[in-house]
Amino acid sequence: MAQLPPQTIQRDPQLFYWILFPITVVMILTGILRHYATVLMASPPKKVEQPALKEQRSLMHGVAVRSNFHVLTAPSFKARREFLTTAFESGAYLKDPERRGQPPANPMTDPGAMDGMMGMMKNNMAMMVPNTLIMSWINTFFSGFVILKLPFPITIKFKSMLQAGVATKEMDPRWMSSISWYFLCYFGLQFVFNFLLGSDNDGAADAGNGPQAPNMFGPGVDADKQFQAEAENLAVIKHYSVLDDVEQRLLEGIKTR
Amino acid sequence: MTWFSKSTTTFGFLLLAHACPSSSCYSAYEHSALQSHRAASLSSLSATTQQAAASSSLPLDISLETIVATVIITLGLVLNTAKLRPIQWRVWAGQIERAGEEGARNSSGEIDKDFVGNPFKLLESRPGFVDIRKQRKEFAEWVKQQ
Amino acid sequence: MTSSLLRPPGHLSPATALQLSQQAPIIIKNSPGAVTASALSSLFSAPETPELWTIYENLLLSCLRTGDEESAHLCLGRLVNRFGDDNERVMALIGLMKEADATDDATLEVVLKEYEALLQENPTNIPIVKRRVALLRSIGRISDAVTALIGLLDFSPTDSEAWSELSDIYFSQGLYSQAIFALEEVLVLQPNAWNIYARIGELLLMSVKSGSGDQNDSAKQLGEALKRFCRSIELCDDYLRGYYGLKLTTTQLLNDPPKPSKQAESDGLAPPNLSTLQKLDGLATEKLGEITRRFTAGEKGWQGFDEAEIAAAKELLEKSSSTTVR
Repeated sequence: MAQLPPQTIQRDPQLFYWILFPITVVMILTGILRHYATVLMASPPKKVEQPALKEQRSLMHGVAVRSNFHVLTAPSFKARREFLTTAFESGAYLKDPERRGQPPANPMTDPGAMDGMMGMMKNNMAMMVPNTLIMSWINTFFSGFVILKLPFPITIKFKSMLQAGVATKEMDPRWMSSISWYFLCYFGLQFVFNFLLGSDNDGAADAGNGPQAPNMFGPGVDADKQFQAEAENLAVIKHYSVLDDVEQRLLEGIKTR
Repeated sequence: MTWFSKSTTTFGFLLLAHACPSSSCYSAYEHSALQSHRAASLSSLSATTQQAAASSSLPLDISLETIVATVIITLGLVLNTAKLRPIQWRVWAGQIERAGEEGARNSSGEIDKDFVGNPFKLLESRPGFVDIRKQRKEFAEWVKQQ
Repeated sequence: MTSSLLRPPGHLSPATALQLSQQAPIIIKNSPGAVTASALSSLFSAPETPELWTIYENLLLSCLRTGDEESAHLCLGRLVNRFGDDNERVMALIGLMKEADATDDATLEVVLKEYEALLQENPTNIPIVKRRVALLRSIGRISDAVTALIGLLDFSPTDSEAWSELSDIYFSQGLYSQAIFALEEVLVLQPNAWNIYARIGELLLMSVKSGSGDQNDSAKQLGEALKRFCRSIELCDDYLRGYYGLKLTTTQLLNDPPKPSKQAESDGLAPPNLSTLQKLDGLATEKLGEITRRFTAGEKGWQGFDEAEIAAAKELLEKSSSTTVR
């Protein structure tokens, strides 16, 4: 294949000072601003009422008994199993026992759920508003500028990403337009923010976009059903204990060691 | 052991430092060659492809030196690492009980920052339920005894 | 030295506590007083670490213990500055300070009233619940303390510290089976806590020695104690406390074998046969000997043991060897 002569484009060095540099600085400053805005807007963790706390922790306790049953001797495990299954099945730990068996409340009417949604909304707004503003700022002032050349060759597929806003078919994909630089900053500044703000910051774009941890006790989850399932789990355990033959294990272990 | 690994690392870095400037000089040379070749490409295309192929590989001694330096540095760094911590529960726990704080010293002789001793000691000392008045009485008695 | 400041000072010797609290003025002077919340300065200053606040908290406890009120107040002031006095943990520390300052029972009653008022406001303020239990226990109202603690465990059954405290209160009242039950709950939550296994073994052994339980039960209890000690050693190599308990149990079982009971058999807690017992006894003797020897020889890496425990182990070994000679 005949080698194409590398393209050269004469760029004004002023492009660096007036486009590349300002975009970068603005992006970093926005990230810092967003971090502090999130810190300021964060609502304090909501107080959990005693019955709700009891419901959660009792369920966790049931799970702990189920997963660590082997530390108990057979009689004490039996006693706990009987007690817990009865209590779970009768709904003794429920937040509001009279609502048993009814479908879960609509999360829209639950004030607790609304709070969580407001928090999410706030976060999304803090994300969206500055991004829209910067995008339009770049589009108005800097659209169509080719500002830098990547120091390594890349395939033609990247052309649409790197040369957004510059509609030139024949240009080498190594050339980058200003809007592409904006996107690169948007996704690539995470480590700069880690350095500036500490590791758990809200500055970068995709910090909070990970998969949301499934909320075990969130609104819309029927606690009674969870308790019933837990009671069933406890009931089917075939008990053994770490204390069975522990002295034999110990003697053998010491010998082989 | 430490002086050996440290001198190994130093030697490796020296070697790399020796290899690197020459290679950077070389890449500067390559760049200028490419510039001239671009100018020449206008005149004849076939001649320049040969020239480009000839100038696109590093001399063997420089690449060899760089590789050897990297291997030596890696070796030195690996030798310099702190002693590995136990990963078996009973060995780890035994070390805590047996050696106390001494077991958690790192290579520079300081006690590790994250060393907490027996994490289950809390279940017996129970800071949330501390009876401060009893502790003060006991302490006062201890002072009297001294 | 700061490493021991990162751990709660409850179990430290008086000498270490004194040493820590004597350092307090220096540490307070060298650490940043109030970490500013302003964005600009936090960009340039060192980031605040959670360790700093742990150090303040533990320093506060040490200073209160040694009676250095001034430094304690400084520490508390910094914590209040940072977290505000409506933080639950800080509230508990403020209460602790008042308890320490109190000179007579009337003041303590006032503090107790304050705790109760706080709990009226927010019944899930766990640090304050714990302080209230500790105060009730401290002024001798044990049954009230137990009631309050059970109330806490009713809505928060996953609090292993509280279960452990409950066990300790029951133990101080001589209620061994309740104490063991509470410790079993701790184990459910912390299945690898080797010291809790040893603690259960000790409680079982004491309950047999005190003769409080059913005499027919002693086979089962001794069998379980033996197994608990074995498990604690299995979880932790060279665990002095575990071997000490194991030695005590095997001596008891060999010298004074309890009559075998059906109950113990069916629960799988019967003591092992004679040859296993002898092997375990030999193992415990050997290990205790090794540990005491290495500790006294000042061998490196064997200096973490408690001196009192080593002395007790030596005594036990001497006693057992003299009986065998006889």
